Amino acid sequence: MIQAQSLTKRYGSKVAVDAIDFTIQPGTVTGLLGPNGAGKTTTMRMIVGLDRPDSGTVLVNGQRYQDLRAPLREVGVLLDAKAIHTGRSARNHLLAMAATHNIPTSRVDDVIELTGLTSVARKRVGGFSLGMGQRLGIAAALLGDPGILILDEPVNGLDPEGVLWVRKLMRHLAGEGRTVLLSSHLMSEMALTADHIIMLGRGRVIADAPVSEIIGQAGGATVRVRSPQATRLATLLAQAGVTVVNLEQDVLQISGITAAEIGDQAAAAGVALHELTSLTASLEDAYMSLTKNEVEYRTGGTGDDEFGDDDSDTTDAAADAAANDDPRETELQEAAR
Amino acid sequence: MSTPTTLAAGTPETLADIGTEFVPASTPTGPHLNAIGIIRSEWIKLSTVRSTIWCFAVLLVVSMGLAAIMAFGLDLAGTDIATVPGTDQARFVAQASTFGVFFGQLIVAVLGVLVVTGEFTTGMIRSTLTAVPKRLPALWAKALVLFVTTFVAGLVSNIAAYAVTVAIANGQGLHASLFAPEVIFPVLGGALYLALVAVFALGIGTIVRSGAGSIAVALGVILLLPVVLQMIPATWATDVLPYLISSAGVSMFGLIQFAQVPLDWTVDLIIVLVWVIVSLGSAAVLLKRRDA
Repeated sequence: MIQAQSLTKRYGSKVAVDAIDFTIQPGTVTGLLGPNGAGKTTTMRMIVGLDRPDSGTVLVNGQRYQDLRAPLREVGVLLDAKAIHTGRSARNHLLAMAATHNIPTSRVDDVIELTGLTSVARKRVGGFSLGMGQRLGIAAALLGDPGILILDEPVNGLDPEGVLWVRKLMRHLAGEGRTVLLSSHLMSEMALTADHIIMLGRGRVIADAPVSEIIGQAGGATVRVRSPQATRLATLLAQAGVTVVNLEQDVLQISGITAAEIGDQAAAAGVALHELTSLTASLEDAYMSLTKNEVEYRTGGTGDDEFGDDDSDTTDAAADAAANDDPRETELQEAAR
Repeated sequence: MSTPTTLAAGTPETLADIGTEFVPASTPTGPHLNAIGIIRSEWIKLSTVRSTIWCFAVLLVVSMGLAAIMAFGLDLAGTDIATVPGTDQARFVAQASTFGVFFGQLIVAVLGVLVVTGEFTTGMIRSTLTAVPKRLPALWAKALVLFVTTFVAGLVSNIAAYAVTVAIANGQGLHASLFAPEVIFPVLGGALYLALVAVFALGIGTIVRSGAGSIAVALGVILLLPVVLQMIPATWATDVLPYLISSAGVSMFGLIQFAQVPLDWTVDLIIVLVWVIVSLGSAAVLLKRRDA
């Protein structure tokens, strides 16, 4: 359980984290998303007391991180893979970390084995690849068998096998009732790993909802249908709440109705279907539409800052913009009728 | 904190409920953060990087080498050694045994700097400070471990230098016991000074954070400041000279005197300690206050 209340951090005149509130629940994997500079890493650093908030508080298990009696056994943290002295071996690094909390050597060897570092454990960290550094960082985070895990870009630099391993590990740890907070730029990976998303933009929370809800905001599920009688099928399905887009001559993209319903209706009308595929809007789509304003703000120069600043409705505005984004949609909706 | 606020709509539990229900039993029963553990951690860190081994090896070699040079250079100019009083013989042996401290202070200053800047430049400091989030215990543990190991290494080097001196000077009939007050006091004092210089440099490293910058500052204070002051033709410069860390340090165990009226060794020790306390104290304030 991590709770932030009007958490704020400034670097000089720049506000990195702007009075954010959130609660991160145990038993779930929470993904922290946002463009570069949105405040993800700063937020994580404040949770574990590396950065001091300018105002507001963040508590782990109801206490400030600094006040925990056994910080490593309550919170495991991976902030960047290179938070390790390059001249020391992996095992010695873990032994030094473990010593502070009297964590036994057997646990050090356990996490080395768990993270697949056994063969390189006695080599100096300076020679490690990015992926091995990540594994060592994850090993350090797991050292105290903590109830809360905070991992900044944990799959960065890992090979596909490693990515899968991290995903399974995170799911497993959350399944045991632990609190897992991770950030990643890999949207597809985040969609598979996280249950809940907190999206940051320019230091503010622009979305805080379950993954399905976030994806739903971006347009929800669609169905792709291939049929030699596409036009007839389009007419057939035209009803309130159903949107039909004619992608190619015989391919329709339909939303607002399930694949099963389309199949049933087509069968009832005797329309042949050559393909019927359910498509889910990706988290990436949702991310793009939600962070659109944030990104435009930063790349669009200085002209309309004032407008962008008053953004209590940012989320809605972004979602609306996304909904009207596809010019083909309106056009083809007409065609379908 | 007081009563927890209720969660967003649709979530029935209060925060307190979830806290007791789902947080696994990680909350402190069993091993936790403790002073002995932090000290042990710093010892592991110090003893598992090559720079430590190198610095102490160089200290040992330099001490023995300089002692050998000094002992071979001993020129009695025809004087019968039997006529030289035992205390003078002991003083010569003590000087040769601690001559390495002159250079040793630079070596241990570099070590003291590296102990902490090695963490800042590699990012290791973030691991250290998440393990010890109150921060200062980690700094005190570093200082303690560095002090003790440097004192031991300095003592070993000085005693080795004594052995070299005696082995060579015996050829000319020179004798002095290690435990003669003229010998053992400088040997111990030299080691103590080295240990204090290392901690002084640790403070500089924590303040400056960059390796090269810290080494420049530490060596500047130890090596350059006395030279500069000696070059200034003003009485205030001569008056200030004995109060520098390196002047007080080397006069503390009788190697060289900088003051016209030699200061008592306790005064010299206090001067060195003030330098160390100011350095480590400033380091503590900044480590606590700054973002890591």
